[in-house]
Amino acid sequence: MRLKVSIAVLALSAFAICARAETISGTILIKKKLTRRSVTPAVSVYQRGTEVKLGADTPEDPLVYERSRVVVYVEGPIAAPAGVTPDLPPAQMAQQDRRFSPDLVVIPAGSSVRFPNMDPIFHNVFSLSKAKSFDLGSYDKGDSRTVAFPKPGIVEVFCHLHPNMAGTIVVTPNRFYARPDAAGQYHIPDVPPGQYTVVAWHRTAGFFKKQITIEAGHDASADFFIPLEENAK
Amino acid sequence: MTTRLRSRAFLICFVPFAALLAFAFWMTQNLVQSAVREGLRRSLRLNQVAVASIHKKSDLESSRFLKVAGENPALKAGMQLLLQNAGNPAARRTVEDQLRELGEHMGFDFLLVSGPNGKPMAGVLRAQGQLAPIDVSQLQIGSANLLQLRGRTIQLASVPVDLDDANLGSLGVGEFFNFSEFTSPAVLVHDGQTIESNLSGIPAGELDEALAACDGKQECDLRLVGANWMSLRVQSYGSGYDLYILSNVDEATAPIQAMLHSFFLILAPASLLLLFVSSIIASRSIVKPIAAVVDRLRDASLTGMLPEFKGKPSSILEIRALTENYNRAAVSVREAGEQLESAYLEFIGSLANALDARDSHTAGHSSRVSQFSFDLGTALALPSEQLERIRIGALLHDIGKIGVADAVLQKPGALTDAEFAQVKEHPVIGKRILEGVRGFAPFLNAVELHHENWDGSGYPKGLAGDEIPVDARIVHVADAYDAMTSDRAYRKGMSHERAISILLECSGTMFEPRSVNAFASIPRAVITRHSNPATQQDAPGAPAQAAAK
Repeated sequence: MRLKVSIAVLALSAFAICARAETISGTILIKKKLTRRSVTPAVSVYQRGTEVKLGADTPEDPLVYERSRVVVYVEGPIAAPAGVTPDLPPAQMAQQDRRFSPDLVVIPAGSSVRFPNMDPIFHNVFSLSKAKSFDLGSYDKGDSRTVAFPKPGIVEVFCHLHPNMAGTIVVTPNRFYARPDAAGQYHIPDVPPGQYTVVAWHRTAGFFKKQITIEAGHDASADFFIPLEENAK
Repeated sequence: MTTRLRSRAFLICFVPFAALLAFAFWMTQNLVQSAVREGLRRSLRLNQVAVASIHKKSDLESSRFLKVAGENPALKAGMQLLLQNAGNPAARRTVEDQLRELGEHMGFDFLLVSGPNGKPMAGVLRAQGQLAPIDVSQLQIGSANLLQLRGRTIQLASVPVDLDDANLGSLGVGEFFNFSEFTSPAVLVHDGQTIESNLSGIPAGELDEALAACDGKQECDLRLVGANWMSLRVQSYGSGYDLYILSNVDEATAPIQAMLHSFFLILAPASLLLLFVSSIIASRSIVKPIAAVVDRLRDASLTGMLPEFKGKPSSILEIRALTENYNRAAVSVREAGEQLESAYLEFIGSLANALDARDSHTAGHSSRVSQFSFDLGTALALPSEQLERIRIGALLHDIGKIGVADAVLQKPGALTDAEFAQVKEHPVIGKRILEGVRGFAPFLNAVELHHENWDGSGYPKGLAGDEIPVDARIVHVADAYDAMTSDRAYRKGMSHERAISILLECSGTMFEPRSVNAFASIPRAVITRHSNPATQQDAPGAPAQAAAK
């Protein structure tokens, strides 16, 4: 109910000051490493041979890496401001070296993602997520399949043939989303004034939300601490 | 075969103990060897148990893994993909990639997926430490748990892979046959052919041959490159694959053998030496007293004398009895000899007495002549044996008168020539009588020649001077003296002094001068103590005639 009211308010205000748009910015602060590198866990219980080399940490600062895994977006359907490019080219999530590359793709609802196979072996892409469930079947190198994501949500994609392959597609409700830079700074420009819920999402840590109000001529800011506590999600 | 008692005694002491020693050595060595073999056998069996448990563990691990891997959805998807895209290299690569990842996780050396028809579809094999895809189109998978691939032996286990009741094929996993698990020498054999072994320096052919000789026995003794080995079949993998573990018996027994050898090398010569010495001592102690008796007997046979043993009697009962018996025998032999001698002398004495008894006038003549001859020989310092010979010879000198008729001998008056010739026969008759008696030969001279004169005028041979034996010369003097000093039926015996003077007169003609002088030098008392009381006074008569009697 409240959401509906706020949406209405937002819509109104958007109409009222349609020529004006401000930037949401903030800092994402992560104090500990959250992401576990992917291994094949199923059989490791029975491991008895030479130890398998686990994926090494990225050479960069792990916290910088964690910050780059965060997606910040504004909840609710917000019409794109006039003059902003209406259609984006389809995003791409390739299968390379038995990984989804990149393994995190952010698209606004209604866009599509291409899944080209770059490996000399077969791969498969499927998802069982609520936002979009699909199975593209197995296909060879050079083949590519495209999937459209009309509904916002988090879509986890996997490969039947390689259980350790996992990728995430964040389908945002609108075009107002951003990913922080190495320092954790993010900027969502051209947001019409109004009351918004800004969401920061991290695959491991989960969702973090903040209410902000954008007034005309004033930039707003929302800082996130992820995670705030030991077991926070 | 004749042997000396000493060598026989030595051999009897030495040989049985030497044989016993050798037997003890042989027996000990055998016992030790069999104990070592038993130990080896036990250790082989323990090895077998260990190997079996290793295999069991690895089988269990494999089967556990296989159960999980057989339900691996990714692998199922891969196999499905492969079945749908048969011949697609990318599809094969996909599965190979999956197998490689599985294998690297699990430490398997070989992974293989086969289709529902059992035909191998994709596989990876460890090479240079990495699992790498291999061409499986030519691979033949039998029912055996062992597989020979690229010169390596792989232990194989497999599981069927099903998807919704439909069989997709099977997954096989394998490990290289690991000989490093075996602390002892081990040999893997396929249909009598050695495939792999951790024995170095033994030609495979020889190994095959030796194991073939075992003829499938569980435990077996065999010879390899000149050494004794023991083998035990520990595992059978089916389809003719067998695993044997071996043990070098010689190598195991060598240190103990060497120890035994050095021990016996010291012990054997020492005990042999001891045995040798004790045998020698034993044989000597047995033989020495006997040898002494034997030596004594040998000396006795050489000398004719049989002396008794003197000194301490032996401490050995048997030897003491032997010497005592010997001594008794020696005494009785000597007594018998003495008896024989005295009997002989008695015989001679009785002969002379018998002779004298024929004529009472000449009674005691023979024994007196014997005494005078003995005294004269003593005066001439003759040796004692000759004195004895002369004494007995003198006793017998007139024995020949047995052959002269009594009428002639006892005729009171003068003798006719014929009668005198008869009397003159008596030395020859005496010689003939005594010639036949053994042992009387030394006296023949005195008997036959006691009437030979110094100048050669005597009878029977008419010898002169040095031709006449000394015995005869002495008896001649003594005979003449007694004849002159004895009483006769027809005259009285003359006095000693008269008789001596007549002897001196006739010295050099009838008698040897040296003997006469010696006789004359004998004190009168010595001579006359043998004589008749009648000879004390002087009596007339022809000395020549008296002497001739």
